[in-house]
Amino acid sequence: MKPPFKLDAHPRRPRPLLSEPPAGYFDQLPLRVMARLPHPDASEATAVWRWLSQLSPALRTSLASVAVLGGFVVSFYLSGPPAVRHFAAPTASLNAVSHAELVGYLLTSGAQVESADLAVLTAAHPSITQGFMEATDAELTEVLDAQPSEDLTYL
Amino acid sequence: MGSKLYFASPAGRLEDHEILLKFQDPASRNLAFNQLVRKYQSKVYWHVRKMVIDHDDADDLTQDVFIKVWKHLENFRQDAQLFTWIYRIATNECLNFLSSKRRKFLLPLTDVGAELAAKIEADPALAGDEIELKLQQAILRLPDKQRLVFNLRYYDEMPYEQMAEVTGTSVGALKASYHHAVKKVEEYVTRHTAD
Repeated sequence: MKPPFKLDAHPRRPRPLLSEPPAGYFDQLPLRVMARLPHPDASEATAVWRWLSQLSPALRTSLASVAVLGGFVVSFYLSGPPAVRHFAAPTASLNAVSHAELVGYLLTSGAQVESADLAVLTAAHPSITQGFMEATDAELTEVLDAQPSEDLTYL
Repeated sequence: MGSKLYFASPAGRLEDHEILLKFQDPASRNLAFNQLVRKYQSKVYWHVRKMVIDHDDADDLTQDVFIKVWKHLENFRQDAQLFTWIYRIATNECLNFLSSKRRKFLLPLTDVGAELAAKIEADPALAGDEIELKLQQAILRLPDKQRLVFNLRYYDEMPYEQMAEVTGTSVGALKASYHHAVKKVEEYVTRHTAD
């Protein structure tokens, strides 16, 4: 019968019989470790966010939800005013154009301007015709008198 | 006793308290850390290597251990000895590595032991030494934590009090664990060696 193996009777070694690491391994290891150390800038950047890691998971989730909701609110707020400005801008630019120029444009651009349009315009601004109708009151009266009677009823 | 070997400082190397002092100063931090790595690299590497067997795995883990030491050394409170603290980090890295390997490949405990045993069989250093080979196979079949206790006590001859600091386990539990580990190893080698 073979004798049972006793660990105390076995020659003790400082470590198991494993193959040695490659030659020069321990000369290179410190350099490789030093090369892998975090860059100071990176550690500063992580320090800024370190407070986040100290929060509880539930609090971090809540904070993330608030951040997402906040993002929606801000984007909604920022997207509102430009639409208003978009509609207001043409009105503002038209206000900068004088009435005389507007009427001149309408008369020369082939747009259909009815006599009634001119009547409304002159009623609101009696002096507006002075800008584009270079005629005296007498000349105007003469022209109007020459119109057929049925046309006069529309003026 | 082996424990004296742990803290003996070879000539020309800085003592732990000198390393820690220099590490506090940003101007000498890198130099101090380089000294720390040179001082403890061999012990850390072999501690890890005994657990993971493969050199490449041990190399990766040893570097990871020192990166963690760098990150946390500023907060090291010195209520434990520096090497005990480094050993604890290395131990956790090893256990996490083996555990994640098991999870990754959905392997049961015995299969990881068998995989490590296969690696050790292929190691030329053990060729021709049947008893030593069976001894290593027996050790590799122990559960990770028990194997760790066995390595610390049998190979490193670490005192139980220091082992308790490294593993966070009571001295009594460590003694019981080592006793059971020795029994398992002896039974395995007896059963698997030729007459």
